[in-house]
Amino acid sequence: MTPFDTHPAGLLPAGSQDRTPMPSPLEIIDARKSFRTPEGGTMTALDGISLKLASAEFVTLLGPSGCGKTTLLRTISGFETLDAGEVLIDGSAVTQMPAHRRPVNTVFQRYALFGHMSVARNVGYALEIAGRDKREIRTRVGEMLELVGLAGMEKRSIQQLSGGQQQRVALARALAAKPKLLLLDEPLSALDKNLRQKMQQELKALQRELGIGFIFVTHDQEEALTMSDRIAVLAHGQIQQIGAPTELYRTPANLFTADFLGESNLLPVKVAGGRASLRDGQSFATEHRAGEATLLLRPEALSITPPEGHALSFTGTIRETYYTGTDHQIALETPAHGTLHALLRSGAALPGLGAEMTLHAPAQGLHLIDEAAP
Amino acid sequence: MTLARRKLLQLVGLLGAPTVFLLVFFFGPLLIMLVYSFLTPGLYGGVDWIFSHLNYGRILGWADTRYEKFDPVFIAIFLRSLRLAALTVLASLLVCYPAAFWISRMRPGMRDFAIFLVTLPFFVSLIVRLFAWVLILRPTGFLNQGLMGLGLTGAPIEFLYTDFAVILGMTYVFIPFMFLPLYGSIEKLDMAQIEASSDLGATRFQTFRKVILPATLPGIVGGSVITFIPALGNFIVPSVLGGAKVLMIGNLIEQQFLSARNWPFGSALAMLVMSAVLILLIAQFRLSKKEAQA
Repeated sequence: MTPFDTHPAGLLPAGSQDRTPMPSPLEIIDARKSFRTPEGGTMTALDGISLKLASAEFVTLLGPSGCGKTTLLRTISGFETLDAGEVLIDGSAVTQMPAHRRPVNTVFQRYALFGHMSVARNVGYALEIAGRDKREIRTRVGEMLELVGLAGMEKRSIQQLSGGQQQRVALARALAAKPKLLLLDEPLSALDKNLRQKMQQELKALQRELGIGFIFVTHDQEEALTMSDRIAVLAHGQIQQIGAPTELYRTPANLFTADFLGESNLLPVKVAGGRASLRDGQSFATEHRAGEATLLLRPEALSITPPEGHALSFTGTIRETYYTGTDHQIALETPAHGTLHALLRSGAALPGLGAEMTLHAPAQGLHLIDEAAP
Repeated sequence: MTLARRKLLQLVGLLGAPTVFLLVFFFGPLLIMLVYSFLTPGLYGGVDWIFSHLNYGRILGWADTRYEKFDPVFIAIFLRSLRLAALTVLASLLVCYPAAFWISRMRPGMRDFAIFLVTLPFFVSLIVRLFAWVLILRPTGFLNQGLMGLGLTGAPIEFLYTDFAVILGMTYVFIPFMFLPLYGSIEKLDMAQIEASSDLGATRFQTFRKVILPATLPGIVGGSVITFIPALGNFIVPSVLGGAKVLMIGNLIEQQFLSARNWPFGSALAMLVMSAVLILLIAQFRLSKKEAQA
């Protein structure tokens, strides 16, 4: 049944509400921003960034410190103004709108909870400011605390809470006013590893439940891969690549993304006549354009037993091994390619340190990066 | 030697000397003052050891009817002192709060220098600084000459020997007292909390009222108390800048001891000031305790 079936013909003008697509929760168009450094120079934090959320997505801004990810987040929340470009939230331009009027809320890195207020007043702060009546605020605060697993903690003071609980209060506070978009500025970096993994899963579940867009800033690639619908890898104020975690991990567009996301072996290749040749003379079929390129071999793609069909082989000396429980990490020193990193399922019989060993990789579906290896 | 005995000996060793010093040089004189305030003044100064409650009566409402009628002038002077001290606190707060805010946001090097500048007046004698204010405020002083030169006033304005001059002088003297505790709490203020407040929809004014002010309240209270106490008992500023026109309780006490040689009455006045200060301190203590619990 289409929307037209429910209305008499002709009553519904073309392009009416039912047919217009939902506006994007967030759109950034060619954002530019530079800062003056104390030494008198200028530092470009955002160098022409465009980003559009298709729907209520979980998008992570990932990059090393100084890549511009935090600046980008702050231009969305309104704490930084752009030199050029536009920010649209839910279809309307907010570029010139001050932070307190934007329909977005932020979970801050160090939570920034109000120490002189109770948990309930922290969570209800946005509603108190908006002048809602007390009963409504109390109900909403109760709901929010339940949502983040802190039901009944209204009267506690912030100092009585553990780091993980403070994190949850910050989350509840940011969600209480029903923002169109939630911004998270490395909110998990202060938590210990177990708690961090738990919160990652909870955040992802929460985002699905609420159906609003989450923009999550982190420098932790594992965190980004775990939670995101899409990841935008940032460096030098530009988006290096944006896409689903699997896409970025398997087919990175450039060396930066390949290197930043996960462990990688990057081998230089020459492509000519539909074949890519490695330095040691091995070659495989490719559709990549002719010229210099880089072969990405993830450590887990290497194995002890050769795969079916044509394969690449690398023989070398074992220099280091680490046992992680599920895997063995191996550093293999090869004459032609330097040190290769491999991740082998535990249980395999491994020769000792200094012994010679041959590892194999399937010659199909190898990913080439259109950039010469460093 | 047992551990407990050793601990006790350490405690006595550490605290013994300061305790004795305070007992002899602080509680001793205080006790003498308390006793004197209930004695009768001697004819040629000093005291006669005859109990009398009339020193307090003279101030609070039951005078010695053989010699005088009750005169509320002492209460009036006391109330004026309270008022001038309170206005001094208010004026220093208005000067120091924005200044402390501004200085706390400076670069570290500049910040230390600015704090040094705030405490700089301590390096010059108080009397010299107050006479400098006389030169500025008197009818032929810089301020009046400036105002007349600009044509803002035809005749010199009476600044000197007014409440205004006394408040101005005391504010000037006590600014470092107010500044340092205020700065302490403002510097600790988490900038992220201000951003969080704004992020949650608060205007600048709402953020100030609901986040900044409550978070810096301990500094405001601390600075106010530490300014109010010496301002209430001050006698140097009112005697230099207030002259004979603006008498504060401190001047009155000074006169009783040095000119009138009525030590019992002077002691009674001093006890009155001290009780006012004590009441204030107890109130502040109660308030901060209640806040710590909340």
